[in-house]
Amino acid sequence: MIKVKVNKDLITISGHALYDEYGKDIVCASVSSIITTSINAILMLEDDSISYEEEKNKIIIKIKKEAKITKKLILNMINLLKELEQTYPKNISVMEGY
Amino acid sequence: MKMEFLKLDIQRFAHKKGQSSTQNGRDSRGRRLGAKAADGQTVSAGSILYRQRGTKIYPGVNVGMGKDHTLYATISGVVKFERLGRDKKKVSVYEG
Repeated sequence: MIKVKVNKDLITISGHALYDEYGKDIVCASVSSIITTSINAILMLEDDSISYEEEKNKIIIKIKKEAKITKKLILNMINLLKELEQTYPKNISVMEGY
Repeated sequence: MKMEFLKLDIQRFAHKKGQSSTQNGRDSRGRRLGAKAADGQTVSAGSILYRQRGTKIYPGVNVGMGKDHTLYATISGVVKFERLGRDKKKVSVYEG
């Protein structure tokens, strides 16, 4: 299961979706796409407002500066991940205020 | 420092086959226990005859036992594996 832990200025996404085998895991593909799009969009618009760390099956996003556009894009990312969780509760879990 | 864009890997959180997440998979090296001299073999004093855990085999005549239960010859001679009582064994060294 992919675990999304949302704190005030720290978001951690880690784990395996385990929806299907490697190369066919659509839940993993969705999560990766949502996160990559969000991070890269923020870096384009407010590049000093976040930083991220990449590890094996883990991404840590740190919000360094309060910026309106960053806040909206992060909120949009979390909402999309929550939508995904509704459909695939066994494969992704979003925890806020962790 | 400007951060690089995150590379899109759409299987980033997918489980690779064979990517075992087992906690096992460790083992210690073999301790090479057992007989180091054969029955009827001539050995010199101090030679190790048998490596063991506990006393699978007991020390007999002219044989000493170390603190790790290793059996060794106290004189030079011929090795003899013998019975000890009903169900035990011992090893002795006789002058050859």
